[in-house]
Amino acid sequence: MLLEARNVAKAFGDFRAVAGADLAVEQGEIVGLIGPNGAGKSTFFNCLAGDTLPTTGRILFDGVDVTRASPEAHARAGIGRTFQVPTTFDDMSVLANVMVGAFLRRPHRNDAREHARRIVELTGLRADQPARALGTPSRKRLEIARVLASGPRLLLLDESLAGLTPGELQEAIALVRRIHQMGITIVIVEHIMEVIMTLTRRVLVFNQGRVIARGTPEQVVRDEAVIEAYLGRGARRQRE
Amino acid sequence: MSKLLAQPASGQRVSICLLAVALVLYPLVFSDAFYRDIGVTFLLAAISASAWNIVGGYAGQVSVGHSMFFGLGAYTPLLLYALWGWPPLVGIPAGILLSIGLAVIVGLPTFRLSGHYFSMATIAVAELIRIFVGTWALVGGAIGLQGPAIARGWWDLTFRGDLPYYYIFLAVLALALAVTYALEQRRFGYYLRAIKSSERAARSLGVPVRRTKLQALALSATFTAMAGSLYGVKTGFIDPDSGFGILVSVQMVIFAALGGAGTLFGPLIGALILVPLQTAANTWFGGGGSGATFVIYGGIIVLIARFEPGGLFDLWRRLAPLLRRRGHAA
Repeated sequence: MLLEARNVAKAFGDFRAVAGADLAVEQGEIVGLIGPNGAGKSTFFNCLAGDTLPTTGRILFDGVDVTRASPEAHARAGIGRTFQVPTTFDDMSVLANVMVGAFLRRPHRNDAREHARRIVELTGLRADQPARALGTPSRKRLEIARVLASGPRLLLLDESLAGLTPGELQEAIALVRRIHQMGITIVIVEHIMEVIMTLTRRVLVFNQGRVIARGTPEQVVRDEAVIEAYLGRGARRQRE
Repeated sequence: MSKLLAQPASGQRVSICLLAVALVLYPLVFSDAFYRDIGVTFLLAAISASAWNIVGGYAGQVSVGHSMFFGLGAYTPLLLYALWGWPPLVGIPAGILLSIGLAVIVGLPTFRLSGHYFSMATIAVAELIRIFVGTWALVGGAIGLQGPAIARGWWDLTFRGDLPYYYIFLAVLALALAVTYALEQRRFGYYLRAIKSSERAARSLGVPVRRTKLQALALSATFTAMAGSLYGVKTGFIDPDSGFGILVSVQMVIFAALGGAGTLFGPLIGALILVPLQTAANTWFGGGGSGATFVIYGGIIVLIARFEPGGLFDLWRRLAPLLRRRGHAA
């Protein structure tokens, strides 16, 4: 088991954003986290990335407890992440952005630069462009390139494919596939069902802080509880 | 193609060489005491602004309390001389070590803050130290301390005339810039710029943010203390305001910001413009001149913040290609 979250809960005051969620990810899997807005996916995701400290529960990475480890310790351990709102280093070039990631396992500049150049090529970006000049789709791509350069074993993607045109989406899906083929395990939070259906074999559905369904994407989209969570059929039935 | 790429770099190298030659020759050409004094003041300002730049510019941690390092650097050699007659050559390294210690002590709690809160915390610490020093009799209280009046030997670093100081300061400035350049090229420099842009993203990529910021502050404090100690030894006198006063901190910020914070030569360019301006203001307005200096600083802050947050260096970088193109066309 590469990643294991046991009964993870996070409360902000009285509000229970995540109310006890379990997740087990095997080496080499792509697992999807879906759910309506405010379902607790992002909070759970941030717990996995070490950005948010869970109120209760434990998170193990490769058998080591990382529940209370800092974000930088997560990166060193091999857990990489992207952000829902891209946070590129805007004063730096594309290559320099990726180099910051590459430096994690390659302290010397020339090694880091060479590695970063390969990654930039792989992701189809232009190395000498200033990050400031990029649009949102390229920024998301740059974030992926940057974290990829840091050599993660597990990649956490937080809506990295949202807001893309259909053409860009296909490219992005191909990129995630390529990353997966490099042997990197992926957990992906996504709203776009097309992404989930094509990329993942296993999905967890969040609603109101709980995991309400798990299974293959095909099973999950037919699940009564999932349909209800998304469309609010139960609420409508109650009113009738 | 390779020629095209090499051109700006070699152009830059030429301007750096020209600048270096100009700085070496300046006191020989302008041998008048008035001009040499401007030269020494400029170098001192350039050293401290470049030192501030490491943490304030590259890492974007805008300290407005760097006078604490400047003052500590200035006070330590003079205090050790006053107490035990130690020569400044020993006192200066002692002041630098104390400043590094102070940087760690101050940095640990204040780096938990960000943005304006960090700036305000640094002001508060520097002001506390200034007030404390002003009431402590051992370090001269409000009156201050004096250095060796007559040199017992070269190790007292007490010279007649400005020329020896000028070249010592120039050497320290060259060292500060060389160290900054070396950092800029390494992982450390990339990490500083990443931290400036987004601490959260930097941490997610494994950048040890707190440690990197502390190291930057310690290095910045080292050169700021060096500037302070050179000032103290050269002037032969230090008091709470000229060592720990807020104007000392503000000057570093303004010189760096005007030229371009986070660029290698920005602080130097800022000092190159502002020091002569300041001297001119003092000369024109006489005793009331220090007030005019504040007015000019205020105006500059407003103008930089509103129109050119990147400073003159950034402006030049954008304008230079346009001018060159026009030159080619004509």
